Order: sequence, then structure tokens, then C-alpha cells
Amino acid sequence: MRFDNYHPAIELLYFTAVFLMTIYFDHPIYVLISFVTAVIYSVYLRGKKAAVCDLLLLAAMAAYAIYYASYHHFGVTGLKTNFIGNQITLEAFAYGMVTGCRLITVLMWGSCLYVLVTTDKIVFLLGRISPKLSLYVSILFRSVPQIIQQAKKIETAREGIYKGIRQGNAFERLSHTAGVLSILITWTIEDAMEKAAAMKCRGYSLKGRSAFAIYRFDNRDRSLVVAMAAMLTILFMAVMFEQTTIYYDPVIVMNPVTPLSVVFYICYVGFLCLPVGLEQCNCKYYS
Amino acid sequence: MVHFKIQDVTFAYPDTTDRPALEHINLEIRQGEYVTVCGASGSGKTTLLRLLKSVLTPHGTLSGEILFCGRPLQEADLREQSSKIGYVMQNPDSQIVTDKVWHELAFGLESLGYDQKTIRLRVAEMASYFGIEHWFYKNVSELSGGQKQLLNLASVMAMQPEVLILDEPTSQLDPIAAADFLNTVKKINRELRTTVIITEHRLEDIFYASDQVVVMEKGKIAAVDTPRAVGAFLKEGNHEMLAALPTPLLVYYGVEEQKNSAPLTVREGAEWLDTFFADRTLKVSAYEAEAPYEEDEIKDPAVEVKELYMRYEKNAPDILKGVSFRVEKGTLFAIVGGNGTGKSTLLKSICGICRPYSGKVKIFGKRMEKYCKGELFSGNLAMLPQDPLSLFVKKTVREDLEEMTTGKNKKDREDEITRIAKLCQITELLEKHPYDSSGGEQQRAALAKVLLTQPKILLLDEPTKGMDAIFKKQFADILKELNNQGITIILVSHDVEFCAKYADTVSMFFDGTILTTNTPRNFFSKNSFYTTAANRMSRHIFENAVTDGEVIELCQKNL
Repeated sequence: MRFDNYHPAIELLYFTAVFLMTIYFDHPIYVLISFVTAVIYSVYLRGKKAAVCDLLLLAAMAAYAIYYASYHHFGVTGLKTNFIGNQITLEAFAYGMVTGCRLITVLMWGSCLYVLVTTDKIVFLLGRISPKLSLYVSILFRSVPQIIQQAKKIETAREGIYKGIRQGNAFERLSHTAGVLSILITWTIEDAMEKAAAMKCRGYSLKGRSAFAIYRFDNRDRSLVVAMAAMLTILFMAVMFEQTTIYYDPVIVMNPVTPLSVVFYICYVGFLCLPVGLEQCNCKYYS
Repeated sequence: MVHFKIQDVTFAYPDTTDRPALEHINLEIRQGEYVTVCGASGSGKTTLLRLLKSVLTPHGTLSGEILFCGRPLQEADLREQSSKIGYVMQNPDSQIVTDKVWHELAFGLESLGYDQKTIRLRVAEMASYFGIEHWFYKNVSELSGGQKQLLNLASVMAMQPEVLILDEPTSQLDPIAAADFLNTVKKINRELRTTVIITEHRLEDIFYASDQVVVMEKGKIAAVDTPRAVGAFLKEGNHEMLAALPTPLLVYYGVEEQKNSAPLTVREGAEWLDTFFADRTLKVSAYEAEAPYEEDEIKDPAVEVKELYMRYEKNAPDILKGVSFRVEKGTLFAIVGGNGTGKSTLLKSICGICRPYSGKVKIFGKRMEKYCKGELFSGNLAMLPQDPLSLFVKKTVREDLEEMTTGKNKKDREDEITRIAKLCQITELLEKHPYDSSGGEQQRAALAKVLLTQPKILLLDEPTKGMDAIFKKQFADILKELNNQGITIILVSHDVEFCAKYADTVSMFFDGTILTTNTPRNFFSKNSFYTTAANRMSRHIFENAVTDGEVIELCQKNL
């Protein structure tokens, strides 16, 4: 079953949890898990492009760590003294790495979110808050691209009579641009009035408007919510046992790794691999 | 049951001193009828239609009474009118409110406050009936014009109206999409008994199916009757709307005297010709043939295009695939072909808006790249875009024209405008806002604007779109006049009838290239599908007859 076929509320819950955990967990193992799974999922969704993008982000992470270590000097394990006599410490460098990694991981998860969450879903989720709000957002998603399209159309048309915004001398260009902008405003108003008439024709402004959605909340959605809740409970235990954070200042201190910690790690991997896993276990029917 | 009863309705817009928009209208529309309202631009068709739905009724003074299902229309509240009276407007784009197809279908039902289950079923029903399943999840911006208008129709029909009102629904569509749309409307009328009230320019596709045809003239009803009777009425009075009638009728009236069994479709027209010649001997069976068109004979072409290749993006497919042609000076060169085959791209490439990656464009024998900046557009080339509205940027037509004038002093410039306005017959529009004029008027005003650059070559993209028959005639006269002044015109069009009547040469554009170029007569008489109605109805008897005038002439020679 494809993950984006599930109910939008599940996606909202999932990504909220992923973002929160990625931001707050600064234990290197958790950071690493989140990073690796984000790379896997983003490459899974967007292919080669994502791989290149992730590599660039990795470079950004290293740059951030170096920057951080050269301006923050907490910690006791000196590595080197820089040219103005400040210590570059292991602790600061490690913390810089971890922070940078969390930062880029959040960006990677964001790129996955961007692919999965279409405007439909945003409109739907807003509709849960207020049907009117969701309608306005939907109208916005329709109108803004339409206005841009109209602007392009006007520009192409006027290029055919040498009145385009890139034609003529600087002064003429300015006046051509002003002309396009002013008529675009007129056009937008005209168009809005026609849209308003079309809305009125179909009974807009009647009391008791409902909000239709193409999404249903099925048993499969329910079972996924239960599974997610179970995993999140275990991870919450990890937080309670202080397994997910460590100290970097003045020395790196972490709770010992016990068998239970391994359970937490596995659970974290499981939760973050959920989308890829769900799609994979469906793939076997089509191999 | 009588759905609409219009009793002595007079309507005037505020602040107008001249005649009211509608005068003493009496009309009765029964349930399940298919009513066509026709008339010249500005005859009050749209005003009449808008009065039939309270939310669309314009401001003004109304006298008389409109009864809907036996009681005054105003007594039906918004809820009742929204669900029972469906209204589809002209512009497909501006009626779509939301960003997704499925949401648009549900919009009206949401307004009426139906629950999820009901909406889901109704939307599914609509998508299946109208064949929308394949683009159900799409963004509306990805749809073609025809699909958009179909979506508008479907989203109105989702509310299950008893009456469907359509105000020139196909004026922005190409002929194939238009015919599809009108067929769907017919299907709704036939299968669901929905009353249909429609205004249209393209009478060919709806005239024969109508139960009543209403002819409007200057705010009054000139005639209400069956299609044949209305045809006879128009013929008798030699009415200006006669030109809008379907070709078979026109040919029939050009030949026969009796009016009661007139053919309405091409099939009926062909059958009538059979019976007409059943007891006559065919003396002249062919219209005089023309010499085949030889492109190589053109010595000094105005435009020469050689193997042009063009694509919009690096990895996109080629839009133009080796187009070559030459256009003789002072002629009207028409390019016909289907939608999305690249005709507009070709025009844009000729005037340098699009950059072909291979091939040559020569304007008056000189490579386009050799013209320096702006030289091409000052006195050589100008293009009229598909949507004339996109040319205008000022508050009045006059100001818009002033933007284009080149004269040194004020007097010169005013003379220039007066001359062009007279040529394009827009003198009375000059002080109006360009957005306030009708489609045909906008087209002529745009032409005036383009002509002010004093081009020697004029490129026209679908100029007859949305024009009624009367405007088309006037427009053709203007083009002829320009040809006489030595201006070369290249025209891209779907309008087969227009090209057959007025072009000097016609080219078939298909799959990114021009397949053949010939004179209209040689071109259309060789085709059997992509040809004029007159040719289709007469080709089994006459050779080479392409326009209605020619068929009439041949019939009369055989009398």
C-alpha cells in the first residue's frame, strides 16, 4: 500500500512526529538513524536528483561543523589551537556535527513531505478546521497560477507588436511593464467578478455549506494509527529513560547502551522506515 | 408543463438614453424543449438569458413578468434556483472556482449542504456520465478548453437542474471540442428531459436539433418558430441573420422556392440534391477547375520558411518538424489543422517570439536574424494573438491605439487613428473600455492596434474564433482591403468555411509540418472529411464546388 494513499491526517501525524524527534533527539545513534532513513526515503521518492541534493547537504553539514567548532570553544578535549589562540575542541566539533546533521535531516524529510503532500491534502486538512478556510485556499491555488498564466499570455501577445517587457529602450521597457501590470489588475478584478457570479449560480452563500473530501478513514488507516501509536509509546519510554539525549558540555556523557536501548533503536528505525516499508511490502505483488 | 413564461418583459440598463435592452418580450418554454436563441451581437440574447436566473440579473429597470413553473421567478429562493436552473457561461476559464476537478464537481453540492455520502455518489455519477474519470484528480489548469467547459457543464448538472441555460458556451472552443460539447448538451436534453436554452454562433451544430428557434433583433423577438419556419422567415425578409444559417439551408434557399421541406443537415442536403436532380439532366457537373498551385513559381516571396525545427524545452518533443513554405506578397495564406499541432508556434517562430533551433525564416528575402532590434516590428511584421484582449492595456480603445502611433505631431497621430478606426469599423468603440466590447468588436479593435505598426506582413492567430457570421463577413472584407493595399496575411485557423471562402491559398498543417498547399478549391475538393459543408453535401454530384455560392451557381446553371 502506498504511503500517500493513506488518510492525510495520518501523514500529518507521521511527519509531525518525525520532525519533532529529529529535532529533539541529539544522541548520535538516533541522529544517524534519522539521517540514513531520510536519505533512503528521499532517494526512493525522487531518485537521482535527491541523491545529488543529499550529497550537497552532507557537505553543508561538514561546513557547519567546522564553522561551529571555530566559534564555540566549550569542552575539555583540545584538538588544535587556532591562529588567535583559541582551542578547537572535540566536544564542540561533535556537537556541531550533530546539530548540522539534524538540520540537514530535517530538510531531507521536508523534501519527502513536499512530494507526498499535495494541495488537495492541505485543503482537506484545513477543511477540518473550517470549510470556508479550505475553500478560500482552494480558490487561491486556482487563481494565483491563473494570474501568472494570464500575465505570460499578455506578454507573448505584446511581444508580437514590439511592446514586450524586454523590447525597446530602458524607458520603453519600463512603460511596457507598467502597462502589463495595470491591465493585469483590471483583468484580475474582471475575472474575480465572473468567478463570483459562477459561484452564486451554484448556490454559494447558502447557509449550511458542507466540505466534500475524496478521503476516507478506513480500517487500514485505523490499524496503521494503532501501530504508529505503539511505536511512539516505546520511543516515549526511550525519552523517559534519557536514552535519546546526551551531554556535550563540558565532556561527552551518555547513558550506557543496554539491551533495552537496542530495542529503542530498532523501534526508531522501524518508525522512520514505515513509508518505504509499506511501499516495499506491496511491491512484492507486482514483481 | 411550461417551465418559463415570459410575459411582456421590457428591460433597460441604467444610464442609457437609447432603446431598452429588451422590449416587449413574450416567450413560452415548455419542459424538455431545446430552445436556440440567435441574433446579431448586441441584440439582447445574453440579457434575456440572464433574466432567467435571479442572481445573474443585471441592474436596471424590469417590467413585465417572468414565471418559472407557474409562479414568479423571484419567489423561488436561491436554494431552489441554484439547484433547478443551471447556467453555463461563455468563458470556460473564469467559471472554474477551485483547483481540482473533483472539487469543482462537488462545489454546488457543497453549497446545498449535502453530506459526504451523497456528494460522493453524485460526483461519481457525473464523472461517469461525462467521461471525466480519467482526469478526475487533475489540476484544472492542466485541462484543455473543451475539457474545462465540459467540467463546467458537469458541475452544473451535478445539482440535477431541470433547466439548463447556456450562453455561447462554445465561442472559445475549437470546432471539434465545440461539436463534442454541443453533442453532450443534446444528449442531456434527450436522455434526461432537461430543458435547454442556448445561444450560439455555430448554428450548424444545433439548428436541426432545436424545437424552437428564437430570433432576436435590437432587443425584440423577430421570430419564434420551428427551425424550418424560422429559416423561411429569415429568407423572406432577407434578414441579416440569414448568413448564420447552416449551409444546406442556404443552398436550398438559393435554389428552391418552396420553403417547407428545407434540409437542415448535410445528409438531408445531399438527399435533397438527389431528388432535385432525379428528373433533370445534369448539364454542368463541375465548377471550373483551377490550375494547381505551384509554390516554386513564386519569385519574390514575402515570407520564406525553410525546414524549421523548434521545441520549447531541451527534452521536450519537437513541435515544428521541418516546416517549409513560401508566401507570395499581397495574398491571404491560410494554414488549417487540428488543435495543438503547433500552428500558433509556427506563427510565433515567424515573428521571432519563439526561437527555432534549426532552419531559416526569411522576411522579404532577408534572414530574420539580420534584422536589427525592433526593425522587424516597425513596418514589417505584426502578429494578432488568439485572445485579442491580451493586447489591450489602457482604459479606452483610443488610448490603446495611441500607444501604437508613430506620427510626429498630435494631428498626424489623430489622423492615423481615425483612418484605421474607419477601416476596421470601430469608430464608435473608441471611447469604450476594451474589456466592455463584444468578442467580434475586440477582435477588430485588436486588428486596428496591430495595423497601426503599419506592417507589410500580418500574422493572425485564429481571428474568427467567437465571431458571428455577420462579423466574419465584415472581417473578411477588411482583410481583402488590406490585401489590396499590398499587405501579406498569414492566417492560422480552424475555420474551414472561412478559409474556403476568403483565402488565396490553404495549407494543411499536421504533426509539426505543412503537408500540402493549394488553392482553396483544389485543396477542399480533394478532401472528403476535412472540407466545407457545401462540398460534403454536393460532392457526389458536382466537382470542385466548395462554397455555398458555388453550389447555388451550379444548381442554377442546371435549371
